[in-house]
Amino acid sequence: MIRFPTTIEAAAASEGRLRAGGTDELDLRHRRITSGPVVDLRDLAGLDRIETIEAGGLRIGAMVPLAVLATDQRIRGGWPGLAGAAGGLATPQIRARATLGGSLLQQVRCWYYRSVHFDCLKKGGGACFARGGDHVFHSALDTGPCIAAHPSTMACALWAFDAGIEIGGDLEALRTIPELLGDGSDPRETHALQPGEVLTAIHLPAPTAGDRSAYFRTIHRARAEWPLVESTVRVHTDEAGVMTGLALAVGGVANRPLRYDDAARALIGLRPDDPKVDAVFAALGKPTEELPGSAYKARLIPPTLRETLDLALAAPPAEPLIETAPEGEEAP
Amino acid sequence: MSRISRRGFLGGALAGIASAHLSEAHGADEGSEGSGGSGGSGGSGGNEAAPPPAGGIEGAAQVRLSFSCNGADHVQEIGADDVALQVIRRGVGLTGAKLGCGAGTCGACTVLVDGEPHVTCLLPATALEGRQVTTIEGLSDSAEPADLHPIQRAFLAADALQCGYCTPGFVVEAVAFYDRWRAEHGSEEPDRDTIAAALAGHLCRCGAYQAIYAAVAAACRGDHDSAEVTYARIDGPEKVTGAAKYTVDVALEGMLEAKILRSPIAHGILHGLDDSAAAAMEGVIAIHRLVPNGHRVRFAGQEIAAVAAIDEATAIAALAAITLDLEELPAVITVEEARSPSAPVLYPDRRARREVLSASEGPLLSASWEGNVRGPFSSSILAKPRRGRKDLENAAINGTVSSGTWETQVLCHSALEPHAAVARFTGGALEVWASTQSCHDLAEDLVHRFGLERDQVVVRCPYVGGAFGAKVGLQMETLVAVELARLAGAPVRVALSREEELTTGGLRPGQIIELAVGMSVNGSLMGVSHQAINDSGVAVGNVTGMLTRLLYDSGAKDLDDFDVVTNTPPGKPFRGPGGPPAYLALEGAIDQLAHDAGEDPIALRRRWDPNVPRNAIYDWIEGLEVYQDRGEVGADKGRYRRGVGLAAGGWFHFWDPGAQLELEAGPSGFVARTASQDMGNGTRSMIAAAVAGRLGIAPAEIQVELGDSRAIYGPMSAGSRTTSSLAPAAEDAADQLIEAMVELAASRGIAGEAAPGGVRRSDGTVVPWLEVLDGAAPLRTSGRRRRDSQAAVLPVPIAHVKIGRTWPGVVNLSEIEIDTRLGRVTVREAWVGVGVGRIVCPPVARSQMEGATVQGISYALYEDRRLDGGTGHLLTHSLDDYRIAGIGDVPPIHVHFAEVGFEHVRGGAVGIGEIGIVAVPASIANAVFHATGWRPHRLPLTPSAMLEGLS
Ligand SMILES: Cc1cc2nc3c(=O)[nH]c(=O)nc-3n(C[C@H](O)[C@H](O)[C@H](O)COP(=O)(O)OP(=O)(O)OC[C@H]3O[C@@H](n4cnc5c(N)ncnc54)[C@H](O)[C@@H]3O)c2cc1C
Ligand code: SF4
Ligand code: FES
Ligand code: FES
Repeated sequence: MIRFPTTIEAAAASEGRLRAGGTDELDLRHRRITSGPVVDLRDLAGLDRIETIEAGGLRIGAMVPLAVLATDQRIRGGWPGLAGAAGGLATPQIRARATLGGSLLQQVRCWYYRSVHFDCLKKGGGACFARGGDHVFHSALDTGPCIAAHPSTMACALWAFDAGIEIGGDLEALRTIPELLGDGSDPRETHALQPGEVLTAIHLPAPTAGDRSAYFRTIHRARAEWPLVESTVRVHTDEAGVMTGLALAVGGVANRPLRYDDAARALIGLRPDDPKVDAVFAALGKPTEELPGSAYKARLIPPTLRETLDLALAAPPAEPLIETAPEGEEAP
Repeated sequence: MSRISRRGFLGGALAGIASAHLSEAHGADEGSEGSGGSGGSGGSGGNEAAPPPAGGIEGAAQVRLSFSCNGADHVQEIGADDVALQVIRRGVGLTGAKLGCGAGTCGACTVLVDGEPHVTCLLPATALEGRQVTTIEGLSDSAEPADLHPIQRAFLAADALQCGYCTPGFVVEAVAFYDRWRAEHGSEEPDRDTIAAALAGHLCRCGAYQAIYAAVAAACRGDHDSAEVTYARIDGPEKVTGAAKYTVDVALEGMLEAKILRSPIAHGILHGLDDSAAAAMEGVIAIHRLVPNGHRVRFAGQEIAAVAAIDEATAIAALAAITLDLEELPAVITVEEARSPSAPVLYPDRRARREVLSASEGPLLSASWEGNVRGPFSSSILAKPRRGRKDLENAAINGTVSSGTWETQVLCHSALEPHAAVARFTGGALEVWASTQSCHDLAEDLVHRFGLERDQVVVRCPYVGGAFGAKVGLQMETLVAVELARLAGAPVRVALSREEELTTGGLRPGQIIELAVGMSVNGSLMGVSHQAINDSGVAVGNVTGMLTRLLYDSGAKDLDDFDVVTNTPPGKPFRGPGGPPAYLALEGAIDQLAHDAGEDPIALRRRWDPNVPRNAIYDWIEGLEVYQDRGEVGADKGRYRRGVGLAAGGWFHFWDPGAQLELEAGPSGFVARTASQDMGNGTRSMIAAAVAGRLGIAPAEIQVELGDSRAIYGPMSAGSRTTSSLAPAAEDAADQLIEAMVELAASRGIAGEAAPGGVRRSDGTVVPWLEVLDGAAPLRTSGRRRRDSQAAVLPVPIAHVKIGRTWPGVVNLSEIEIDTRLGRVTVREAWVGVGVGRIVCPPVARSQMEGATVQGISYALYEDRRLDGGTGHLLTHSLDDYRIAGIGDVPPIHVHFAEVGFEHVRGGAVGIGEIGIVAVPASIANAVFHATGWRPHRLPLTPSAMLEGLS
């Protein structure tokens, strides 16, 4: 059964699995993890636009393909870390098709979950097989019953920019990334969007003039590989090169993306090359004893953050879409 | 050890692994709404009253899809889960776009949608509505050079392909890139990184990346703007245009699709199988049981039964309806578990051992068993094993010993074309299309297995999308296709899904090798000991000691191999079987010896190595700047550390003395024929080059027909015997033909002698061969590999092959960089010198060496088959998690041919297929040592392993 709703309301009212790009949903169906009617968002109008909103922010429609996000001049200029994330994930063909909404709401890549042979916690079964089994590509930090690394590169990156998530076209009640994803305590949930809710857009607050940002993933091969660890860093420095604002988002290591706000606060007032910076990062790289197979990923957190921070500092500063009054940014 | 019915479990479980889901069948099940979207053949003509497209939220089981493909309009009815690939392949009937992984990773299914590359295996068919699709077939009007897109010409010219299965995807993507690039940059050449970024969504298992870089760069430079192109790979035009038909592309009238029921447990006894519900299902035509009641199932994924149905979805549904009565036994998944005294024994008695599978390329030699351990199999007959041990003891006192234990992982062959077969009976005659590397032998196997006459069986494999050792002989998919075709009375196709391919399609055994090499105070070789444990799953017979024996002849050697059987899928021979692990250990130990002695690693090897080709290669390497300037071990102290590592390797010289080749010459040209095959290794082009070389014409003028078992006997392509057997046969046939053509010329009043291109008259003019042949009855000759003066190891062939006494040699040099922060090893540049005698067709030989280097890099750094330790189920069931090298991982590779050492061999050429991979991982491991002073003893060198090793 398939439906092609043309309005957000109709999509929300349609029973079945929403399908945007289909790049994840089809794989899940091929593996018989999901089934039932399909609600194909193909004919839903208006969600494939990127528009400027007040105060120099952007509203990016849920159906915008990641390839467009990666190359859009406004995003590259103002939120280069976000464009970098969109352009750094998957493959060119997948990015051409995968949508922003789908990328936030995709399922985990756990090899037990995607195998028909394992009825794990996430599928409503009784056990997490990865925990006592092979979890080399899973979480390094034990943040919930399901230890699959949260798959969404974009969720992690958007969090670094404090993006707001618009549901059902409601421009007022924007959700935060943590609200969208939930806390991970229910292993069946990879995000907290409820049936009948349609993600319609994300809202990017305007960057401050001088903001710099970058995305980096630590992978094994050169390209086209799921990250071992990934991070997006947004940083603001004053004329003396002292960090006055910092957001550190890290993915690939826990069942939700992480934001290290305490660490970021501790770094405000330091120059990036201050040895204390690496000491603070190093403290983030403590593996959990419970997950020996992925302990190496924890060790990769500090160097990944360092790499991303360095890339951000080397990047040109944000070009805000409209002039905003220069103001010292608070530590996020 | 309870007796359990696996009914509920099987329902979901088996359907899943079987789900190639988007090959040729229509509509997977529609879930709760249960509208069963199968049937409905679609096709461009299928425009009878389809339900209107559901505009609002009204649902429909099938919708009508209108789109254009290569300029023609199509209307098809599609179901909710249909993907664009099946709409194109089955509905439109264009098979250029291929199913490789089915999960968005390999790019083989890429087409242009409104000019933009998309993977169609994950593209909902609904997305094609109103769009313009361009497939590989739509890029050119014909395979004539003038009609081709510049990118297609560039792929031909650079020989940017082997088996060709990935080629349509690469070409389509490269065309999109090229068009964009030229529009923005004119004829500026893009750098490697730009090309790698553009092609990152494609995998080439054959490893043709180096030439792909070259092709794209050349086209962007404008080198292929003109309509001319010269190329060596004579089947290239079919491959770059999507015209080459592989087994998976065969579609016969009334063909059924078959799926295989696999064991959901790793160890157990099958007490019963109830297929009554499945048999009663509509659309299920035949069910074949592969194992009887009482059979012991020994690995998860083992084939139990197979179903043929009208389409794939029905076959999958039928599998789910079969119930198994399986008594589960405790299983051993790892070698360690299998060796424990309390381990369940897989093959407890002689009868059971008759069921054991061979992981070896040759015949299985007998060995004794103890529990799950079989062996030792000694490779040291006449190699003085006892003295070897004694020498080592002495060296320990009076010299140096370098020793260690090396571990290598299990790899998947994972050719991009999965194992596939189509079988059809017509009367008593059997036709089989198979993705095989042994066309002739497969036909023989079928004759014996099914009690048929030789002239009743034909096996066809015109194009084979990679094999690497996993497609020799009668494989399960062919057996199943034939059995079911017989039962069903209709043609049947079997094609493994990527998950099945990665489970049982072919596995390179894992090893644990304890090795020691001794050196006396005066620097001579003093004993080698090599004790290997092979993990070939339920199979046995993999041998590594023989490879150690091939190097450094002067030393006494003690070489033993043990098999330890586990409840895991069977190993198969994989390109250079036994070589990479053996040389990882041996060449690692020797590298250490040289280091400890403060000696140049080549100087040390030269002293011990009498091999003529390798010594010539040492000269070449000594002249390389990168070798001369390599610096001290561990010289770099910073984040990035550069290292240069060297390793030598060897392989056998096999040939098939029975190999023959038939040559036919008529006014329309020259046709060469033999019942051999081309899996991307370039058999066709090699034959064309050999024949053309003799006739003095262009290889493209020779048509080479392979992949038909009715032709004159040709060798299988395994063990690097193709060129050594067929090049001399081709040249023999050509020489005879020349004689016949000169005679024919004389009889037609053209007196003269043979010259390049034709008959030279006394006045010096040459009458071209085709003119000589004009109007005459066709001439036919058949050539074979004639004897030569060299002595074979044994006077009679074993399993069709003779073994020469002089061996080819290889030396690999790898320059790597380690990012010690992120644990990444990158190969910056690779050099390989190879001595396999005369190079018959240089571009193809080069491509073989480059591809083998890529596979060796992939082996050393990335690939790792992983199983769940509890159940034995495959975890790396996709190409996302079973990681093979992509284009960005491939450095510039320099190939050097040392064409010496085989002057005494008929034709002067020995095979090149395997030798290219054997020493690559060792050279990388040695480079890691050179960079850091830490010697890795286990592969792959993942960030996890590197961080641990360097800490
Ligand atoms: C080879 C490969 C590599 C990849 N690498 C990465 C990577 O490195 N990082 C990464 O983040 N991702 C990666 N991906 C995953 C990819 O990003 C996702 O498949 C893609 O983003 C999903 O987007 P889609 O539009 O195709 O979603 P769909 O498959 O259509 O949908 C995904 C899910 O989101 C829901 N959904 C979609 N849109 C909406 C909406 N508007 N409102 C409510 N629900 C909605 C669907 O119901 C479904 O559950 C990779 C994928 C592949 C194949
Ligand atoms: S990690 Fe999560 S998805 Fe994977 S087996 Fe455990 S519960 Fe299931
Ligand atoms: S078959 Fe589509 S990407 Fe591999
Ligand atoms: S040529 Fe690329 S997979 Fe064979």
